[in-house]
Amino acid sequence: MNTNNQTNSDGGNVQSRLVIVANEHGLHARPAGKLAQQAQAFEADILLVYDEQEVDAKSILDVLTLAAGPGEKLEIRASGSDAEQAADALQTLFANKFEE
Amino acid sequence: MADKILSGISVATGIAIGKAFFVNRNHKAHLPRQTVSADQVANEISLLHDAFALVEAELSATREHVPAELKDYGLLIDTHILMLKDPKLSGTAEEYIKSLGLNAAWALEKAVADQEAAFGAIDDPYIRERMQDVRVVADKVQAKLIGHEADLEALSGRAIIMAHDLTPADTVELQVDKIMGFATVCGGKTSHTGIMARSLAIPALVGVDKLEDYVNDGDLVVIDGLSGKIVVNPTDDELEEYNERAAFFEDYSRKIKRHCQLPAETFDGSRVKVMANIELVEEVASVIDNGGEGVGLYRTEYAYLNRTELPDEDELAEKYIDLAAIMSPRKVIFRTLDLGADKFISSYGELNEVNPAMGLRAIRFCLKHPKLFKTQLRAILRASAYGNVSLMFPMISGVKEVRQAKAWLAQAKAELRREGVEYDPNIPVGIMIELPAAVMIAEYLAQEVDFFSIGTNDLIQYSIGVDRTNHHVSYLYQPLHPATLRTIKLVVDAAHQAGIEVSLCGEVASDPFCVPILLGMGIDSISLTPQAIPGIKRIIRQTNMHDCRKLLKDVLECRTVSRINNLVMDNIFKHFPDEVSFFTSLLENDEAGS
Repeated sequence: MNTNNQTNSDGGNVQSRLVIVANEHGLHARPAGKLAQQAQAFEADILLVYDEQEVDAKSILDVLTLAAGPGEKLEIRASGSDAEQAADALQTLFANKFEE
Repeated sequence: MADKILSGISVATGIAIGKAFFVNRNHKAHLPRQTVSADQVANEISLLHDAFALVEAELSATREHVPAELKDYGLLIDTHILMLKDPKLSGTAEEYIKSLGLNAAWALEKAVADQEAAFGAIDDPYIRERMQDVRVVADKVQAKLIGHEADLEALSGRAIIMAHDLTPADTVELQVDKIMGFATVCGGKTSHTGIMARSLAIPALVGVDKLEDYVNDGDLVVIDGLSGKIVVNPTDDELEEYNERAAFFEDYSRKIKRHCQLPAETFDGSRVKVMANIELVEEVASVIDNGGEGVGLYRTEYAYLNRTELPDEDELAEKYIDLAAIMSPRKVIFRTLDLGADKFISSYGELNEVNPAMGLRAIRFCLKHPKLFKTQLRAILRASAYGNVSLMFPMISGVKEVRQAKAWLAQAKAELRREGVEYDPNIPVGIMIELPAAVMIAEYLAQEVDFFSIGTNDLIQYSIGVDRTNHHVSYLYQPLHPATLRTIKLVVDAAHQAGIEVSLCGEVASDPFCVPILLGMGIDSISLTPQAIPGIKRIIRQTNMHDCRKLLKDVLECRTVSRINNLVMDNIFKHFPDEVSFFTSLLENDEAGS
């Protein structure tokens, strides 16, 4: 799994991680649900970037509409006080295939 | 007499007695479309959030009570809760209240429409279907906003749930500990109502015509999942009788379940395999729990229904591999796609037929659409590497059809071999015998395949020329018609002469009145609904082949159904008195008297 940390942008703390959708079905309801739930636990604003689309990782509907299939590459972009923890946590979730 | 006795299709056995409770009666409530003045906006927004919070609290409470066996339903509720919390829904609605001055219910409707547009653009059909969940969640919030209590929460005591139809979303929110039974107007054996009822082991009927006309909230009803009847407002005598029957049946079920893992062996040591008919991979637990020795008929249609695109090979293979692997080393027999004009995905417009039962369906349909056929064959072959897999072709009418089907199978094998994909090169191939034509040439067909499976439901319909769903003629549908019995015997004899096995997978196999006769014929295996396995195994374990052969000889000499019924009843009264109390199909069916 690729990791790409970049700190700083306009004095804020932006964390970026590249991840791959490794579970069998892609970002379907359950993984999207887990992702949104996990993201909601953080203060940071978290974006998922995929295929020129940027969506709110805290929104299950947004995540679902990405329709990212297995093997697709996404970027997690978190900004805010706990951005690093948030980005790490979501990256782990992808790496663990959403515990499926 | 009771006020009314309605009949339906039983999808889960047992007897329940209780108060009727209708759900989804207000489903089409009209949505108010108004604008609010600027000073009302803040109030409207707080109404919106209150409604969201209320629904969320209710869903969370429901979530607590989802029993472990319905884990999947619990996860669906989780998804709904997340959608409620999603700023895309409540946030967008709030925006519309602010910017356009809409009332909360209308603003939410617009937010839903936005989501509909976003989801509609997605190719993945599974994700597109999640839009239904958005709709369900929004409906609930709107119901709060316009003051309609959602029906389900009004359920205070234990009740029998009645509905026009129950969607999966409805069923997840039912507080299952309060439900004694189900009855719906719509739905078939595979509906969620049926699956849920079977996993909860509560009686359920679907396809109950006029349910809404004759039953009112609070009526005392008996759901008889044994005979497929609903008794509305029974008399005291009827009630007492049903109470006794219910208690008796529970006792009996417990008793037979205790012994269901024992082999199906007659007193004198004859073994017959008892397998299960299933539709969904999820049913394997009930196959194993009920003592099924394998899956004798996996109906593969479900994956093709209620969708606009065909499933692809990987999707099918994944399901098939799961099934084969879980059941292994037990056998799984896949029946290739048995669909046609009677039930199919909308994309096949050609299937608008006057007489679908005799039209382009089953193997005919597959041979006409080889790409679709081969996709399924490849998926089944892939699963054969993981378990003890056989396949069979439905509705075969002649030798050439078998050869054509086998040619496609050979081609699918060759492709997989070239691609280096594993499969069982010796996968047994069988055919369903369900047309009189196949019966008459059974000796030729037997030389083409490894086994026969007799599908009595269709075979009886085609032999007697009767549509058993047609109320006017359904009385003619007679499993114990002399022609039916002779037909089955011809097939069994032809198979054995050719040295191949023969099984039977129609409803006849789960009828305790018919099974001794089938044993007498020397049938190798029977396949039936998992829930009926313990009862049938009990019958087999309490009989001996000598009696069965004698019974067969006697019934084959009868000229009328009534005479056969009498002989069979005598036999059952003598050897299996318990069964007589529950399985009354014959007693009531005798009027045909042909």
